[in-house]
Amino acid sequence: MTLKTSMLRKTLLASAIAIAMAGANAYAQDVTIWTLNFTSEAANNAIQKVATDFEAANPGVNVEIVTRGVDDHKTALRVAAGSDKGPDIYFSWAGLGLGGEYINAGFSLPLDKYYAEYKWDDRLTASSLSFSKIYKGGRHGVPFTFKGEAVYYNKALFKQAGIEKLPESYAELVAAAEKLKAAGIPAITFGGMVNWHVMRLMDVILESKCGAKKHDALKNMQADWTAEPCATASFAELSTWSKNYILSPFMGIDQSQSFNLFVGGRAAMMLEGDWLVQQLSEAGNLDGYDIFPFPTGTGRLYGFAEYHYISSKSPNSNLAAKFLDYFNSTPVQQELLGKISTTSVNKNVTYSNLRPMDKKWLDIFNKYTDVYMNGDQAFPLDVTTEYFRVINEVASGNIAAADAAKQLQTFISNRK
Amino acid sequence: MQITKLASDQRLQAALLIAPALIIYAVFAIYPMIDVVALSFQKWNGLDANRHFVGLSNYIDIFTKDPVFWVAFRNTITWTILSTIFPPLFGLLLALGLNQRLFARNSLRAIYYLPVIIAPIAVATMWRWMYDPFFGIFNQVLSLLGLQSWIKDWLGARDVALYSAFVAYVWQTVGFSMVLFLAGLQGVDKSLVEAARIDGADRWQRFRFVTLPALRPTITIVLVLSVISSLKAFDIIYGLTGGGPAQSTQMLALWAFTQSMQIFDFGRGSAISTVLLLITLAIVIPYMRWAQKREEAAE
Repeated sequence: MTLKTSMLRKTLLASAIAIAMAGANAYAQDVTIWTLNFTSEAANNAIQKVATDFEAANPGVNVEIVTRGVDDHKTALRVAAGSDKGPDIYFSWAGLGLGGEYINAGFSLPLDKYYAEYKWDDRLTASSLSFSKIYKGGRHGVPFTFKGEAVYYNKALFKQAGIEKLPESYAELVAAAEKLKAAGIPAITFGGMVNWHVMRLMDVILESKCGAKKHDALKNMQADWTAEPCATASFAELSTWSKNYILSPFMGIDQSQSFNLFVGGRAAMMLEGDWLVQQLSEAGNLDGYDIFPFPTGTGRLYGFAEYHYISSKSPNSNLAAKFLDYFNSTPVQQELLGKISTTSVNKNVTYSNLRPMDKKWLDIFNKYTDVYMNGDQAFPLDVTTEYFRVINEVASGNIAAADAAKQLQTFISNRK
Repeated sequence: MQITKLASDQRLQAALLIAPALIIYAVFAIYPMIDVVALSFQKWNGLDANRHFVGLSNYIDIFTKDPVFWVAFRNTITWTILSTIFPPLFGLLLALGLNQRLFARNSLRAIYYLPVIIAPIAVATMWRWMYDPFFGIFNQVLSLLGLQSWIKDWLGARDVALYSAFVAYVWQTVGFSMVLFLAGLQGVDKSLVEAARIDGADRWQRFRFVTLPALRPTITIVLVLSVISSLKAFDIIYGLTGGGPAQSTQMLALWAFTQSMQIFDFGRGSAISTVLLLITLAIVIPYMRWAQKREEAAE
């Protein structure tokens, strides 16, 4: 071996080690987050800004945010769960139905040590944290948002229909819808093309007609849908709403078109989450609208939590936890307020510059301590699909209420 | 010497030439197909480490317990029948028209072919907007014409939704049939057409007895491709209706995808895919054999 050859080999070896180290270093400093492409552009920009600020505060760190639509995100997570590739942090709904599957499959890293290290329990609200404790084997996920859903209404259209007092019971809500109808105003708008939109109406009717306990039992599939008269009555009520009070036609439009119609004054109400405040603000006249919780009479708020989970396959869990700690820190949450959600999961955030509707939401969140979840978060995925189908059949007038309960129960019974 | 001899072996040359394509085909087509059939006898949610053998359970479930399978089956058959009739028929008529000496003939050919190169999901988005019950062009035009009673929720009413989607599909695919027929028409012997004209055959007779028989191989190809592409109809339905309202426009390909990639029951999804594969083979193979025999007999 000549000296020249030996030197060349040494140089190559040194280069290879340097490249490998540089590669390993770059790899250790990358955090990939998979989240939704939110409807509000302000929300997407705000999340991107958090990532950029974190990078600036932590030189050498690269935070990559990958956004997808709801269905694409769910599919991508499933694929990632079955492979070695995937995100370090992923967004998911916190309920047992949608997010729970990934946790039960071991895709989420238990975060007990990070909860202790960063003292998140001292910083975040108890209601939002409750979802981190519902799984066996440790704490999972960190709260991202806590979403409430309520009725948004067009003040001018309510006035035009002579509705002076906001409905405080389900019967009063139906009476208000009847007044709107009599005034020639469609009471409420939904987009039937996306199954989950009309589902919201069925969910709140079930809560109103069955009460909290029976509603939960039906959604947990512990009660028989055909044996509970309130289930059939709820489907009948859904049929009444679709025939009389929903802006028609609605099965051929999606949620965004439904929103456009609402903003255009074509319908008086919309059943939406607190995220709509920002959308309404971006669309124009926020003062023309107000909100009230769907009056179910059970004292529970319709809503759900969204979480950030650290993947059990992440090689950078410490850095991922550090990012989540930064994300949920008081200054960052203060900055995000109103952009992603009306209220923060951080209890130290102050609400000094709230818009009136944000203030209304805050009052609602403070008033309600119990929550009932959306059907697509409560049911397993196959039952959710059937739930959607049956709801749409009833809303389209294709099947009777009793048949709807029977078909749903048959499906549930068949899967056992 | 030995190597030179081997290199000059034509069979070896052929094997070497097709080997890369064969390997890619085996990895990306044959293996997944076999795996799908195997999965149809297993239960797997995509998350568990192991798949469990369940025999015919997935097939029994889709045939007897699935409330959507038979709707999807019926829709797929309806769609296939319509697809075998209308796009080829309109494609043939367009090809005959655009085979004449017309002003801007090439531009017209390009215009009619244009939808074929647009992504189906983009076509779906476009047509969804046109079908919008409130602001879509169809209902706006009907309204302007005073035909209020004709106004419909084109994609939301179950009695018309499938056919509305089919119109968009025809718009997108007719150009493909047209191009194949145009290519076929270039192969029609002009001297035979001229001879028939001299013999006194009118326009219809020249088409019926000269052009049409010459187009027979093209017709076979167009029909087979139409059947295959219609059986796997997915993206246009996914983009237009998502299988709704209430699964009434569901198709087998989309339902297989829904079961596998949205409900994550890969066993059932694979069983539906296998059924679709068998239907495709049951239609296409006998038809191709029959067409081949007819061609051989004609020669």
